Amino acid sequence: MLAVVARIAGKDPSTLKAEDDLVVDLGIDSPQALELLVEIEELLGIEISDEEEVLLVSVGGIISFVEAQVSSDTRRADSK
Amino acid sequence: MPSTDFPETLRNALVRAAREYPTRGVTLVRSRRREECRTFPELLEAVRVGAGRLAAHGVRAGDRVVVSLSTSWQWLDTWLGALWLGAIPVATAPGSSLADLRRLGRVIELLGGARVIAGPLVAAKVELSPVYGLAEAILTPEALAATSPWAVSEDLDVDPETVAFLQLTSGSTASPRAAMINHRNALHNVRAIDEATGAAHGAPAHTWIDGWVSWLPLFHDMGLVGGVLNSIAHGFDLCLMSPRRFVGDPSHWLEILGRRGTVLATAPNFGYQLCAERSERIRQAAPDLKGWRAAMVGAEMIQPDTVENFCREFEPLGFAASAMCPCYGLAEATLAVTYDQRGEGLRTRRAPSGESLGRHVASVGSPVIDTQIRITAPDGTELPTGREGEVRVKGPGVFQGYFNDPEATAQALQEGWLRTGDLGFSHDGELYLTGRLKELLIIHGHNIAPHEIEWLVTGAADSGGSHRCGAFSVSRGVEGEVPVVVLETSVVAPETLRDLEREIRLRVAHELSLSLADVVFVRRGQIPKTTSGKVQRHELCRRYLADELERKQPA
Repeated sequence: MLAVVARIAGKDPSTLKAEDDLVVDLGIDSPQALELLVEIEELLGIEISDEEEVLLVSVGGIISFVEAQVSSDTRRADSK
Repeated sequence: MPSTDFPETLRNALVRAAREYPTRGVTLVRSRRREECRTFPELLEAVRVGAGRLAAHGVRAGDRVVVSLSTSWQWLDTWLGALWLGAIPVATAPGSSLADLRRLGRVIELLGGARVIAGPLVAAKVELSPVYGLAEAILTPEALAATSPWAVSEDLDVDPETVAFLQLTSGSTASPRAAMINHRNALHNVRAIDEATGAAHGAPAHTWIDGWVSWLPLFHDMGLVGGVLNSIAHGFDLCLMSPRRFVGDPSHWLEILGRRGTVLATAPNFGYQLCAERSERIRQAAPDLKGWRAAMVGAEMIQPDTVENFCREFEPLGFAASAMCPCYGLAEATLAVTYDQRGEGLRTRRAPSGESLGRHVASVGSPVIDTQIRITAPDGTELPTGREGEVRVKGPGVFQGYFNDPEATAQALQEGWLRTGDLGFSHDGELYLTGRLKELLIIHGHNIAPHEIEWLVTGAADSGGSHRCGAFSVSRGVEGEVPVVVLETSVVAPETLRDLEREIRLRVAHELSLSLADVVFVRRGQIPKTTSGKVQRHELCRRYLADELERKQPA
């Protein structure tokens, strides 16, 4: 996931910090930010609602969101 | 084509679509792997159920129902469901930030009370950060889905003069206005769009068009009236995707346009700009764009360079430059006011005066049926051809006034003419737009009042001992208008300025979803003001462009 953010921001993944804001700190413009969301959706096979978008404005926010998605998938798989 | 009378109300239009076009309907493009379809009969049934569920929650005819959802079946079921009930739907942007919640609160207040259909994240957020009146008003789609629908009367006879829905428009998001659109307005306008689109092709669009493909937000007139209502009224196959899907993956829109037969689509200038920027990737996918017979462009100032770039990039894929169809409209006129009806593509002329002086501006066509426009001086007198003035509109699409705001209505509607607040001139029967009378900024199709940016900026800077602030937009070529803010501050330390700039950019990005093009710090007294202390934004903008401001540089 970090690699995806880094690629779109044109930065080295090791320089990203959790509190980095996509637009203000990484210089990602709005269309690129949405490109990132669409990539995350495709990678995880999920749909991010417009309301959830507000959770995904920082590197840390994205990581938390993805972790939550992945663990809920794992829980669902375990309970089958 | 079946030849039944054109419907007089939107409810009739939906029933007629289900009856006359039972194999057509709406496709929702959720992702590259997932598309869902409903025929018009299936949509009608879902709308009946949606209406019944709203009724079970106490919604009655005349009640306002705010729909704050993304493009989805839930959106269609609740907006059209409210309409079916005789309630008054009001679409607004979805979102769960604090700014979004506050905006919903202001809308409820303006509407004198309303139900708000919003997602569970919003409902949860409101418990943590209460906004007056919002918690009680919210009804989630999940709660609605769990409700047994009541039976709703099938009596379709509604006076076409009855208000059908409201379109939120800016004074600003700080003080939104709700334009009242009745059934007659809506149905005349979609018929006008049909005729205007077909004018250059010799027959109304519905006789030779298969469908529309739209990514436009449904809470905006172009997406709502032009996309949804237009398709229902004329039985077009409508393909919908969310704005985010388009911006995140512009090629997808064009690929869909390439495989749905003879189609129409509309977009604001920045949509075409985005496609031109991604043209390499799009050419790899190689959609066949010959079937895209009319590409409407409107909702924000048309940049001739953008249109020319787009046409040049996609001509190899079959897109005809003559398909480019500039148009103009506003929520207070339902949607369409003028439309290119010559089918020759983009035409430009040099602006004679004002902020666009010397620049080439695009023709946005001639008035649609039964509609007149006038270019006027501030006192209302009509100006001759070629002179720049305010555009006024008269016709069946003009709204009934602003809900609950007789003062704003009296300012907007004068002697039957709608004052648009847009500036332009006419030539050879066509309208050319040159700018805005008011200081409203239009960035990527969104209306933002300068003071909204200024309030946020001075709020961010308060602890830094700051003073006056002015926001305006400047044209950055094909990018269109971009926002700039200038702040007077006594702070001098470059590190403090850098932190302040970051804080300002963060707030504006999060609260207004805006990316500031430039944040300018100046010392006290640099921002021009009137004798009463009001910031002179036009003069400030002029000084900025002329490099006359002494900037303090952050680290």
